[in-house]
Amino acid sequence: MKLPSVPWNNFLLILKTFKLNPRGKAFRLSVLFLLLGLSGYIFYLDITIRVAFDGRKFALPARVYARALEVYPGVKLTPAQLVAELQALGYHERPEPNDAATYKYTLKGVEFTTRDFVFWDGAQAAQHLRIEFDDGKVSVLRERGSSEHDVSLLRLEPPVIGGIYPGHNEDRALVRLEQVPKLLIAALIGIEDRKFYTHSGVDPRGIARALFKTFTLQRIEGGSTLTQQLVKNFFLTPERTLTRKANEVLMSLLLELHYSKDEILETYLNEIYLGQDSNRAIHGVGLASHFYFNKPLDKLELHEIATLVGMVKGPGVYDPRRKPEQALLRRNIVLQEMVRLASITQTQFIEARQLPLGVIQRAPAGTSPYPAFMQLVHRQLQRDYREQDLRSEGLRIFTTLDPRIQKNAEQALSQRLRQIELTRNIPSNTLEGAVVVSSTQNGEVLALVGGREARYAGFNRAIDAQRQIGSLVKPIVYLTALEDHQRYTLLTPLDDSPLLLRQRGTSDWEPQNYDRKFHGQVPLHTALAYSYNVATARLGIELGIERILDKLHRFGIERRPPPFASSLLGAFELSPYEIAQLYQTFADGGFRTPLRSIREIVTAEGKPLQRYPLNVEQVAEPAPVYLLTAALQGVVSVGTGLSLSNWLPAGIHAAGKTGTTDDLRDSWFAGYTGDQVAVVWVGRDDNKSTGLTGSSGAMTVWGEMMKNNHSEPLQPAVPEDIELVNIDPLSGQRVSEECKTAMLLPFYKGTAPTKTSTSCAGQPAVAQKADAKPQPENKSWFQWLLN
Amino acid sequence: MVAKLINRYCLLFTSALLLLLAGCAGAPKQPLDAVSSAGIIADQAAKPIVSGNPAVIALLDRARIDTGMGKQEAASSSLERALRIEPRNAWLWNELAQVRQAQGQYAQAISLAQKANSFAASDRRVQAANWRVIGNARVAQGNTSGADQAFKRAAEFEQ
Repeated sequence: MKLPSVPWNNFLLILKTFKLNPRGKAFRLSVLFLLLGLSGYIFYLDITIRVAFDGRKFALPARVYARALEVYPGVKLTPAQLVAELQALGYHERPEPNDAATYKYTLKGVEFTTRDFVFWDGAQAAQHLRIEFDDGKVSVLRERGSSEHDVSLLRLEPPVIGGIYPGHNEDRALVRLEQVPKLLIAALIGIEDRKFYTHSGVDPRGIARALFKTFTLQRIEGGSTLTQQLVKNFFLTPERTLTRKANEVLMSLLLELHYSKDEILETYLNEIYLGQDSNRAIHGVGLASHFYFNKPLDKLELHEIATLVGMVKGPGVYDPRRKPEQALLRRNIVLQEMVRLASITQTQFIEARQLPLGVIQRAPAGTSPYPAFMQLVHRQLQRDYREQDLRSEGLRIFTTLDPRIQKNAEQALSQRLRQIELTRNIPSNTLEGAVVVSSTQNGEVLALVGGREARYAGFNRAIDAQRQIGSLVKPIVYLTALEDHQRYTLLTPLDDSPLLLRQRGTSDWEPQNYDRKFHGQVPLHTALAYSYNVATARLGIELGIERILDKLHRFGIERRPPPFASSLLGAFELSPYEIAQLYQTFADGGFRTPLRSIREIVTAEGKPLQRYPLNVEQVAEPAPVYLLTAALQGVVSVGTGLSLSNWLPAGIHAAGKTGTTDDLRDSWFAGYTGDQVAVVWVGRDDNKSTGLTGSSGAMTVWGEMMKNNHSEPLQPAVPEDIELVNIDPLSGQRVSEECKTAMLLPFYKGTAPTKTSTSCAGQPAVAQKADAKPQPENKSWFQWLLN
Repeated sequence: MVAKLINRYCLLFTSALLLLLAGCAGAPKQPLDAVSSAGIIADQAAKPIVSGNPAVIALLDRARIDTGMGKQEAASSSLERALRIEPRNAWLWNELAQVRQAQGQYAQAISLAQKANSFAASDRRVQAANWRVIGNARVAQGNTSGADQAFKRAAEFEQ
């Protein structure tokens, strides 16, 4: 660090002067101390201002992007979806879309021109493209222009979904002095500080005026140079006192001693406060240009430049959105001044003065529209980066968020909760909820909703709510059983008769079923489909509680539930996000892929910094997981999830599990399709009863969302040690394919029933009615045996 | 003493090999064209059709170029993009497993090859390729018996 530049020479000179003076020693000493104190104070100010200046010069927030949309022939995409994506990226509709970020509709599709963009793996130049659609898919993707040719894959620029801002939520888009239009600089200096290039930080006349007004008890007012304004901006405090003014003057002088005019001007242009977007402060002309005109600074036209410069005097008073008349008057004053100083010609002036303000009515998204997802990203980043670097180094962070799926998740949650409250006479806005959606095969978080008010950055229920998980835990019990394929198949009878457990350290435990009945002997898959508590508890105790809890850990639940039998029925708390990790592993055939929200990080200069690669660990054999998935498909096709068919076509073959906790406090649904895993929680923040079961609450949100996501059907690959066998649900025996009521059940090879039934659903196979539907009661062949 | 013996065997072996080669050279020469065209056919047969989607092929090509240049991270990134398009493509998972192997991440290579196997259905070639990756990774991990088993399985699928 350089030594402070306090004017030592002058100081010594003054001391000498005092030495010549014949006054008393005491006085000389006190003056000396006073001067020492003063120089110490100046030294302090000097350091303060330089730390502030150097620190702020390049303070750039990290910019966070959603996933980049990949477009290729055959991908499911409609013209409306593409245009929505382009509009989110700030593209404009133009008759001839040949400039970057423009598009137009054509008869069969859309023509557009992309922007240059630097991805993690390198720069991608702008392209002129034509896209055509057919039957909900992209049919043609071609490069337009002199050499038309097919494009096999286009990666659109990813939409910005937010930033991680420096303190006080300040946002900015840093510009270099050479990027700033000359006219803007001319206008700024002309209006705010005409002597900028010649003064030494302060304007003595301005100060004199300010002092005069202060001593004549008038208002303390400005006369601030750009340097002074910059200093003021560093230490934003609204007070107007003489000490503050004195500090400001001293600091301005010091600033000018250390830095060149260009450095000061550049910092000023990036620092100046130009408005407010809810809790985000708009700093700097670069960001203001996007915020008010939705274009980069170098594309601004004269009248827009004048509007911005006019706002410097008071961004609130001359806000072009809220106070357009004042802003227009002010803009024209700026233009007037510019023509007076010959920065522009008379013609330019007249032309510009006639134009409207030209601000875009809705500001582009700044602070994130996806606060819950941003919080997840931020937490992951905090593990690997210093908070200060995140807020100042201008990192570019590429995430996994899919805005379309996010939108569906938000809408499904808010609409369903409102609907449920209406139809069930629940006081409005008492239900809350959370949604997590990830992609089945690679664990990327596609959407995260932390509450029904998705824009509100409040309590993030998706990652921070700790709620009892109830029956959502059951699949892990059944999986543990199915791994022991010598003993358990999907047809193995489980005992659902009364159970009393005495365990040391807890009171006696007597689990009940939801319907308060006992069902005797039930096949394993039925016990899961109807979520029988007693059969599950007995099974879990037999397998060993510790063993099951170990398994839970292997599947990605890091916190260990208490080692009590009640844990087998989910009497412990987890967040929806943790549940998503668990079901991710079921959906992915026993491969645990840690959920990820970030793909890559690039420095402000475009240098790749870090990648979060896809990591996979096999934690279960494919065969038992396949059997479990079949059983979870049974939950949806015949069990507690049956009413999901009101939302999803049966052809999706979704697998899932409902969860309902005591007194109906929590309503859960966790499940998966061919490409998405999703968890929905519905409950109340005060943990009171909602009156909802898993299927009447959370599952309806799940269904509504998955319907809109156009999820892929679930057809897991059949492991080599699995065979599919036609089973008569009544007898539990093999049956010929002609039997229409037969169900195709998977078995570990060699474990399927060996006996073949001659009848079909109690009838001779030939007389079977084609439309007979198996009733759940009839499904248990054990019940049939007992009757 | 032992070294000498080995040397002698080596000498013997080398001369036998040379004789064999000389024999080959002496065999009636095939027309050069036929050889090369046969070679190309064999080459085409050796390369599996990974995907029918040109977008996936483009990404795979890019990944292979990056791998060739030692840019494994970039290759992974392209393969992960391809996998987002075709998440159940066993060949793509196999390719990613190979990249992890080249990066020295042997446990990941094995897991990814296992995952590739879970999507292999009845494609014996991709299964063989996966078991090769698992075998090589186990060799690198020092698990010789495990590696042998894996290579044996690879050989079974190659038959």
